[in-house]
Amino acid sequence: MKIDSISEDGIARLVDRFYVKVRVDPQLGPIFERVVRGNWDSHLEKMRDFWSSVMLTTGRYKGAPVPAHLRIKDIEPRLFDRWLQLFEETCDELFDGEVAEAFRAKATRIAESLKLALFFRLDRASTREQR
Amino acid sequence: MTFVVKDNCIKCKYMDCVEVCPVDCFYEGENMLVIHPDECIDCGVCEPECPAEAISPDSEPGLEHWLKLNLEYAQVWPNITIKREPPADAKEFDGKPKKLESYFSSQPGQGD
Repeated sequence: MKIDSISEDGIARLVDRFYVKVRVDPQLGPIFERVVRGNWDSHLEKMRDFWSSVMLTTGRYKGAPVPAHLRIKDIEPRLFDRWLQLFEETCDELFDGEVAEAFRAKATRIAESLKLALFFRLDRASTREQR
Repeated sequence: MTFVVKDNCIKCKYMDCVEVCPVDCFYEGENMLVIHPDECIDCGVCEPECPAEAISPDSEPGLEHWLKLNLEYAQVWPNITIKREPPADAKEFDGKPKKLESYFSSQPGQGD
């Protein structure tokens, strides 16, 4: 039976299942392995805190995702699309319609916003370098 | 995409938003808060937390001026992540029109 409310338990299951997919994904896997460097337990805990803050407003995650992503070499817009695709797939597997949609809506906004922050800034930075 | 703080925050500054923000992107002026547009990840958690309904997504029309003001002061005011007591007279100013013209202060707040 699919999960029909937003809960810490649901978030934990989403995060665990999603990162299993990420790690075996040919596009995302290698980049995540390189950045996470074996510290998967702490990364998953951080991501549970993040989604708990976003979906349940617990304020448990405190971080700076824009600079964290800016530091990643070879990051590309298409990787955000792939990330979102896997995230949405996982939501649909675990949650019923409305709950899945609530997670998907947040993830879409956040992915788009990170993408803009990263690549708009990189564009600005490279324009400056060319001058 | 970002959320922006608008007119009704001025002289109200309830600060409920700073506790829920996962990315610590609020900055504190003497009598209002702003969001740093380059740090906000558009999660929208702060919007319903604001008792003054002073936070909106920048995709709403007519907020260009507020986006500019948020960006400008986020770069000079101190970061705030811990809520304090709102001003004693916050309720009196909640909902007053055109607070920007009458009450806005460009001075920094105390921050965390």
